[in-house]
Amino acid sequence: MDYDLRLFTAIVADDNAYMRGLLKSLLHTIGVGTVIAVDDGSEAIETLKRVGQDPLKGGINSVDLVMANWQMTPVDGMLLLKWVRRHKESPDKFLPFVMVTGFADMSHVNEVRDLGVSEILGKPYSVQSLMQRLGQVIERPRQFVLTPDYFGPDRRRRKTESRLADRRKIKPEEIEIIYDDEIS
Amino acid sequence: MTTKSLDLDPKGKIKVRYFRLRNRLKEKAGTGQSREPGKFAMKALEQAMAELDKFADDYPDWVQGQVRELYDLFRKAKDKDESRRAIEFKRLNEIAHDMRGQGGTFGYPLVTTVADSLYKLTVTRALTSESHLEIVKSHIDTMNAVIKERVEGDGGLMGRELLTALEKAIEKFS
Repeated sequence: MDYDLRLFTAIVADDNAYMRGLLKSLLHTIGVGTVIAVDDGSEAIETLKRVGQDPLKGGINSVDLVMANWQMTPVDGMLLLKWVRRHKESPDKFLPFVMVTGFADMSHVNEVRDLGVSEILGKPYSVQSLMQRLGQVIERPRQFVLTPDYFGPDRRRRKTESRLADRRKIKPEEIEIIYDDEIS
Repeated sequence: MTTKSLDLDPKGKIKVRYFRLRNRLKEKAGTGQSREPGKFAMKALEQAMAELDKFADDYPDWVQGQVRELYDLFRKAKDKDESRRAIEFKRLNEIAHDMRGQGGTFGYPLVTTVADSLYKLTVTRALTSESHLEIVKSHIDTMNAVIKERVEGDGGLMGRELLTALEKAIEKFS
Protein backbone atom coordinates (compact mmCIF):
# COMPACT_ATOMS: atom_id res chain seq x y z
CA MET A 1 0.00 0.00 0.00
CA ASP A 2 1.36 3.41 -0.93
CA TYR A 3 1.92 6.09 1.67
CA ASP A 4 -0.35 9.11 1.71
CA LEU A 5 1.67 11.82 3.47
CA ARG A 6 -0.64 14.75 2.81
CA LEU A 7 -1.35 15.14 6.53
CA PHE A 8 2.32 15.06 7.47
CA THR A 9 4.15 18.15 8.68
CA ALA A 10 7.94 18.18 8.58
CA ILE A 11 10.46 20.76 9.71
CA VAL A 12 13.62 21.02 7.61
CA ALA A 13 16.50 22.90 9.25
CA ASP A 14 19.63 23.76 7.30
CA ASP A 15 21.63 26.98 7.10
CA ASN A 16 22.68 26.13 3.56
CA ALA A 17 19.90 27.62 1.43
CA TYR A 18 20.49 25.35 -1.57
CA MET A 19 20.43 22.12 0.42
CA ARG A 20 17.47 23.36 2.47
CA GLY A 21 15.57 24.15 -0.73
CA LEU A 22 16.43 20.74 -2.18
CA LEU A 23 15.18 18.79 0.84
CA LYS A 24 12.02 20.87 1.10
CA SER A 25 11.31 20.31 -2.56
CA LEU A 26 12.00 16.56 -2.40
CA LEU A 27 9.72 16.10 0.61
CA HIS A 28 6.94 17.99 -1.16
CA THR A 29 7.44 15.92 -4.29
CA ILE A 30 7.13 12.62 -2.45
CA GLY A 31 3.88 13.83 -0.94
CA VAL A 32 4.59 15.44 2.45
CA GLY A 33 1.73 17.93 2.89
CA THR A 34 3.47 20.65 4.89
CA VAL A 35 7.20 21.34 4.95
CA ILE A 36 8.46 24.19 7.10
CA ALA A 37 11.99 25.14 6.09
CA VAL A 38 14.05 27.07 8.64
CA ASP A 39 17.56 28.55 8.67
CA ASP A 40 18.93 26.87 11.78
CA GLY A 41 18.15 25.12 15.06
CA SER A 42 16.97 28.23 16.89
CA GLU A 43 14.31 28.91 14.28
CA ALA A 44 13.22 25.26 14.48
CA ILE A 45 12.92 25.61 18.27
CA GLU A 46 10.78 28.74 17.92
CA THR A 47 8.50 26.92 15.46
CA LEU A 48 8.17 23.92 17.76
CA LYS A 49 7.45 26.18 20.74
CA ARG A 50 4.67 27.92 18.81
CA VAL A 51 3.13 24.57 17.91
CA GLY A 52 3.35 23.46 21.55
CA GLN A 53 1.81 26.61 22.96
CA ASP A 54 -0.93 27.26 20.46
CA PRO A 55 -1.14 24.91 17.48
CA LEU A 56 -3.86 26.91 15.74
CA LYS A 57 -1.95 30.14 16.03
CA GLY A 58 1.12 28.33 14.73
CA GLY A 59 -0.95 27.36 11.70
CA ILE A 60 -0.25 23.64 12.11
CA ASN A 61 -1.67 21.02 14.44
CA SER A 62 1.46 19.07 15.11
CA VAL A 63 4.90 18.37 13.76
CA ASP A 64 5.52 14.76 12.70
CA LEU A 65 9.17 14.87 11.77
CA VAL A 66 12.29 17.01 12.06
CA MET A 67 15.09 16.74 9.52
CA ALA A 68 18.08 18.81 10.57
CA ASN A 69 21.57 19.29 9.29
CA TRP A 70 24.15 18.64 11.99
CA GLN A 71 26.44 21.55 11.13
CA MET A 72 24.54 24.83 11.35
CA THR A 73 25.15 28.20 12.94
CA PRO A 74 24.29 29.53 15.44
CA VAL A 75 22.26 26.56 16.79
CA ASP A 76 23.33 23.25 15.24
CA GLY A 77 21.46 19.99 14.79
CA MET A 78 22.85 18.48 17.99
CA LEU A 79 21.60 21.32 20.18
CA LEU A 80 18.23 21.12 18.44
CA LEU A 81 18.02 17.36 19.06
CA LYS A 82 18.95 17.85 22.71
CA TRP A 83 16.23 20.48 23.06
CA VAL A 84 13.58 18.27 21.43
CA ARG A 85 14.39 15.28 23.68
CA ARG A 86 15.03 17.07 26.95
CA HIS A 87 13.69 20.59 27.20
CA LYS A 88 10.56 21.23 29.23
CA GLU A 89 9.14 23.41 26.47
CA SER A 90 9.54 20.70 23.82
CA PRO A 91 6.03 19.88 22.55
CA ASP A 92 6.90 16.24 21.83
CA LYS A 93 9.95 14.56 23.30
CA PHE A 94 9.25 11.45 21.18
CA LEU A 95 9.31 13.41 17.92
CA PRO A 96 11.00 11.49 15.08
CA PHE A 97 14.30 13.23 14.36
CA VAL A 98 16.49 12.57 11.33
CA MET A 99 20.00 14.04 11.45
CA VAL A 100 21.35 14.87 8.01
CA THR A 101 25.12 14.83 8.07
CA GLY A 102 28.36 14.34 6.21
CA PHE A 103 29.96 13.02 9.41
CA ALA A 104 30.12 9.29 8.82
CA ASP A 105 32.78 8.08 11.28
CA MET A 106 31.80 5.95 14.27
CA SER A 107 32.57 8.57 16.92
CA HIS A 108 30.20 11.05 15.31
CA VAL A 109 27.55 8.38 14.75
CA ASN A 110 27.78 7.33 18.42
CA GLU A 111 27.63 10.94 19.56
CA VAL A 112 24.36 11.60 17.73
CA ARG A 113 22.89 8.23 18.75
CA ASP A 114 23.60 8.97 22.40
CA LEU A 115 21.56 12.15 22.14
CA GLY A 116 18.53 10.19 20.96
CA VAL A 117 18.41 10.53 17.18
CA SER A 118 15.83 8.42 15.32
CA GLU A 119 17.69 8.03 12.03
CA ILE A 120 20.81 9.37 10.35
CA LEU A 121 20.76 10.39 6.69
CA GLY A 122 24.36 10.43 5.49
CA LYS A 123 25.44 13.02 2.94
CA PRO A 124 25.78 13.01 0.04
CA TYR A 125 22.37 11.39 -0.11
CA SER A 126 20.23 10.10 -2.97
CA VAL A 127 16.46 10.13 -3.43
CA GLN A 128 16.51 6.42 -2.61
CA SER A 129 18.45 6.84 0.64
CA LEU A 130 16.13 9.68 1.69
CA MET A 131 13.09 7.49 1.04
CA GLN A 132 14.69 4.55 2.83
CA ARG A 133 15.24 6.62 5.99
CA LEU A 134 11.71 8.04 5.89
CA GLY A 135 10.39 4.50 5.44
CA GLN A 136 12.31 3.45 8.57
CA VAL A 137 10.83 6.34 10.54
CA ILE A 138 7.31 5.36 9.51
CA GLU A 139 7.60 1.57 9.62
CA ARG A 140 10.11 0.81 12.32
CA PRO A 141 9.99 3.35 15.13
CA ARG A 142 11.93 1.95 18.06
CA GLN A 143 10.60 1.88 21.59
CA PHE A 144 11.90 4.77 23.68
CA VAL A 145 14.15 4.13 26.63
CA LEU A 146 14.71 6.22 29.72
CA THR A 147 17.70 5.44 31.94
CA PRO A 148 19.59 7.70 34.34
CA ASP A 149 21.88 8.78 31.49
CA TYR A 150 19.85 8.33 28.31
CA PHE A 151 16.50 9.19 26.83
CA GLY A 152 15.64 8.38 23.24
CA PRO A 153 14.88 5.56 20.81
CA ASP A 154 16.31 2.20 21.87
CA ARG A 155 19.85 2.19 20.54
CA ARG A 156 19.59 -1.54 19.87
CA ARG A 157 17.36 -2.47 16.99
CA ARG A 158 17.55 -6.19 17.67
CA LYS A 159 15.81 -7.77 20.62
CA THR A 160 18.59 -8.49 23.05
CA GLU A 161 16.70 -7.44 26.12
CA SER A 162 17.35 -10.53 28.19
CA ARG A 163 21.06 -10.63 27.41
CA LEU A 164 21.28 -6.92 28.09
CA ALA A 165 19.48 -7.31 31.38
CA ASP A 166 21.89 -10.06 32.42
CA ARG A 167 24.94 -8.06 31.49
CA ARG A 168 23.84 -4.92 33.24
CA LYS A 169 22.35 -6.80 36.16
CA ILE A 170 19.00 -5.13 35.77
CA LYS A 171 16.27 -7.09 37.50
CA PRO A 172 12.79 -7.39 36.00
CA GLU A 173 11.31 -5.37 38.86
CA GLU A 174 13.60 -2.49 37.97
CA ILE A 175 12.08 -2.20 34.49
CA GLU A 176 8.83 -0.38 33.89
CA ILE A 177 6.94 -0.42 30.62
CA ILE A 178 4.73 2.52 29.74
CA TYR A 179 2.03 2.52 27.08
CA ASP A 180 0.25 5.36 25.28
CA ASP A 181 -2.62 5.83 27.71
CA GLU A 182 -0.20 6.38 30.59
CA ILE A 183 1.30 9.45 28.95
CA SER A 184 -0.62 12.68 29.05
CA MET B 1 3.91 14.15 28.84
CA THR B 2 3.74 13.59 32.58
CA THR B 3 6.71 14.57 34.68
CA LYS B 4 6.55 11.14 36.29
CA SER B 5 7.09 9.27 33.07
CA LEU B 6 10.26 11.15 32.14
CA ASP B 7 11.92 11.25 35.55
CA LEU B 8 13.35 8.19 37.16
CA ASP B 9 12.93 8.46 40.89
CA PRO B 10 16.44 7.97 42.30
CA LYS B 11 14.98 6.45 45.48
CA GLY B 12 12.62 4.19 43.58
CA LYS B 13 13.24 0.77 42.20
CA ILE B 14 12.85 1.63 38.53
CA LYS B 15 16.13 1.86 36.65
CA VAL B 16 14.86 1.56 33.08
CA ARG B 17 11.63 2.73 31.60
CA TYR B 18 10.48 1.57 28.16
CA PHE B 19 7.88 3.49 26.22
CA ARG B 20 5.89 1.34 23.84
CA LEU B 21 3.79 3.75 21.88
CA ARG B 22 1.31 3.36 19.09
CA ASN B 23 2.75 3.91 15.63
CA ARG B 24 0.97 7.18 14.90
CA LEU B 25 2.96 7.97 11.77
CA LYS B 26 1.97 4.73 10.09
CA GLU B 27 -1.67 5.42 10.94
CA LYS B 28 -1.36 8.94 9.62
CA ALA B 29 0.24 7.69 6.42
CA GLY B 30 -2.89 5.62 5.81
CA THR B 31 -1.10 2.28 6.05
CA GLY B 32 -1.77 1.56 9.72
CA GLN B 33 -4.36 -1.12 9.03
CA SER B 34 -2.16 -3.01 6.62
CA ARG B 35 0.00 -5.92 7.75
CA GLU B 36 2.37 -5.26 4.86
CA PRO B 37 4.90 -2.46 5.15
CA GLY B 38 3.81 0.66 3.29
CA LYS B 39 5.87 2.02 0.43
CA PHE B 40 6.42 5.14 -1.60
CA ALA B 41 4.56 5.19 -4.91
CA MET B 42 6.79 4.59 -7.94
CA LYS B 43 5.49 7.87 -9.35
CA ALA B 44 6.72 9.69 -6.22
CA LEU B 45 10.20 8.22 -6.72
CA GLU B 46 10.29 9.24 -10.38
CA GLN B 47 9.08 12.76 -9.63
CA ALA B 48 11.60 13.17 -6.82
CA MET B 49 14.43 12.05 -9.10
CA ALA B 50 13.28 14.53 -11.76
CA GLU B 51 13.22 17.25 -9.07
CA LEU B 52 16.74 16.35 -7.98
CA ASP B 53 17.89 16.56 -11.62
CA LYS B 54 16.65 20.17 -11.77
CA PHE B 55 18.69 21.05 -8.70
CA ALA B 56 21.67 19.18 -10.16
CA ASP B 57 21.50 21.33 -13.31
CA ASP B 58 21.88 24.50 -11.23
CA TYR B 59 24.40 23.06 -8.77
CA PRO B 60 27.62 24.01 -10.65
CA ASP B 61 26.53 27.67 -10.84
CA TRP B 62 25.45 27.75 -7.22
CA VAL B 63 28.53 26.01 -5.82
CA GLN B 64 30.87 28.49 -7.53
CA GLY B 65 29.95 30.87 -4.72
CA GLN B 66 31.48 28.44 -2.24
CA VAL B 67 34.56 27.98 -4.42
CA ARG B 68 35.00 31.77 -4.53
CA GLU B 69 34.78 31.86 -0.74
CA LEU B 70 37.48 29.16 -0.55
CA TYR B 71 39.79 31.24 -2.81
CA ASP B 72 39.11 34.35 -0.67
CA LEU B 73 40.02 32.44 2.47
CA PHE B 74 43.17 31.11 0.81
CA ARG B 75 44.25 34.65 -0.12
CA LYS B 76 43.51 36.01 3.35
CA ALA B 77 45.47 33.18 4.96
CA LYS B 78 48.37 33.73 2.53
CA ASP B 79 48.61 37.38 3.59
CA LYS B 80 48.99 36.41 7.24
CA ASP B 81 51.74 34.89 9.30
CA GLU B 82 51.21 31.14 9.53
CA SER B 83 50.60 31.35 13.28
CA ARG B 84 47.57 33.59 12.67
CA ARG B 85 45.65 31.53 10.13
CA ALA B 86 43.35 29.64 12.51
CA ILE B 87 40.17 31.52 11.59
CA GLU B 88 40.66 30.98 7.86
CA PHE B 89 41.50 27.29 8.31
CA LYS B 90 38.44 26.78 10.50
CA ARG B 91 36.20 28.27 7.83
CA LEU B 92 37.99 26.34 5.06
CA ASN B 93 37.26 23.19 7.04
CA GLU B 94 33.56 24.05 7.45
CA ILE B 95 33.08 24.75 3.74
CA ALA B 96 34.98 21.57 2.82
CA HIS B 97 32.66 19.60 5.10
CA ASP B 98 29.64 21.23 3.50
CA MET B 99 30.88 20.53 -0.03
CA ARG B 100 31.78 16.89 0.60
CA GLY B 101 28.17 16.37 1.62
CA GLN B 102 26.81 17.88 -1.59
CA GLY B 103 28.78 16.81 -4.66
CA GLY B 104 27.65 13.18 -4.79
CA THR B 105 23.98 14.13 -4.43
CA PHE B 106 24.17 16.20 -7.60
CA GLY B 107 26.21 13.77 -9.67
CA TYR B 108 29.63 15.24 -8.86
CA PRO B 109 31.31 12.60 -6.67
CA LEU B 110 34.73 14.10 -7.50
CA VAL B 111 33.71 17.24 -5.59
CA THR B 112 32.89 15.00 -2.63
CA THR B 113 36.22 13.13 -2.94
CA VAL B 114 38.36 16.27 -3.13
CA ALA B 115 36.34 18.18 -0.51
CA ASP B 116 36.68 15.20 1.83
CA SER B 117 40.46 15.31 1.37
CA LEU B 118 40.43 19.09 2.02
CA TYR B 119 38.30 18.52 5.12
CA LYS B 120 40.81 16.01 6.52
CA LEU B 121 43.71 18.31 5.67
CA THR B 122 42.19 21.23 7.56
CA VAL B 123 40.62 19.43 10.51
CA THR B 124 43.85 19.69 12.51
CA ARG B 125 44.16 23.36 13.28
CA ALA B 126 47.89 23.08 13.99
CA LEU B 127 48.72 22.45 10.32
CA THR B 128 48.64 25.93 8.82
CA SER B 129 52.12 26.18 7.29
CA GLU B 130 52.97 27.61 3.87
CA SER B 131 53.20 24.16 2.32
CA HIS B 132 49.83 23.15 3.78
CA LEU B 133 48.35 26.29 2.32
CA GLU B 134 49.68 25.34 -1.12
CA ILE B 135 48.07 21.91 -0.79
CA VAL B 136 44.84 23.66 0.18
CA LYS B 137 45.07 25.71 -3.02
CA SER B 138 45.62 22.61 -5.13
CA HIS B 139 42.40 21.16 -3.69
CA ILE B 140 40.47 24.34 -4.50
CA ASP B 141 41.92 24.40 -8.03
CA THR B 142 40.88 20.79 -8.58
CA MET B 143 37.31 21.39 -7.40
CA ASN B 144 37.14 24.54 -9.47
CA ALA B 145 38.17 22.59 -12.58
CA VAL B 146 35.65 19.81 -11.86
CA ILE B 147 32.84 22.34 -11.53
CA LYS B 148 33.81 24.63 -14.42
CA GLU B 149 34.29 21.70 -16.80
CA ARG B 150 31.14 19.97 -15.49
CA VAL B 151 33.09 16.78 -14.78
CA GLU B 152 30.27 14.49 -13.69
CA GLY B 153 30.54 10.97 -12.29
CA ASP B 154 34.10 9.70 -11.99
CA GLY B 155 35.00 12.00 -14.85
CA GLY B 156 36.66 9.28 -16.95
CA LEU B 157 40.11 10.22 -18.22
CA MET B 158 39.77 13.86 -17.25
CA GLY B 159 38.73 12.87 -13.74
CA ARG B 160 41.75 10.61 -13.37
CA GLU B 161 44.08 13.34 -14.67
CA LEU B 162 42.69 15.88 -12.21
CA LEU B 163 43.13 13.51 -9.27
CA THR B 164 46.64 12.56 -10.40
CA ALA B 165 47.59 16.25 -10.66
CA LEU B 166 46.26 16.80 -7.14
CA GLU B 167 48.22 13.82 -5.80
CA LYS B 168 51.40 15.20 -7.38
CA ALA B 169 50.78 18.62 -5.84
CA ILE B 170 50.28 17.00 -2.43
CA GLU B 171 53.56 15.07 -2.84
CA LYS B 172 55.41 18.19 -3.97
CA PHE B 173 54.39 20.27 -0.97
CA SER B 174 54.40 17.53 1.68
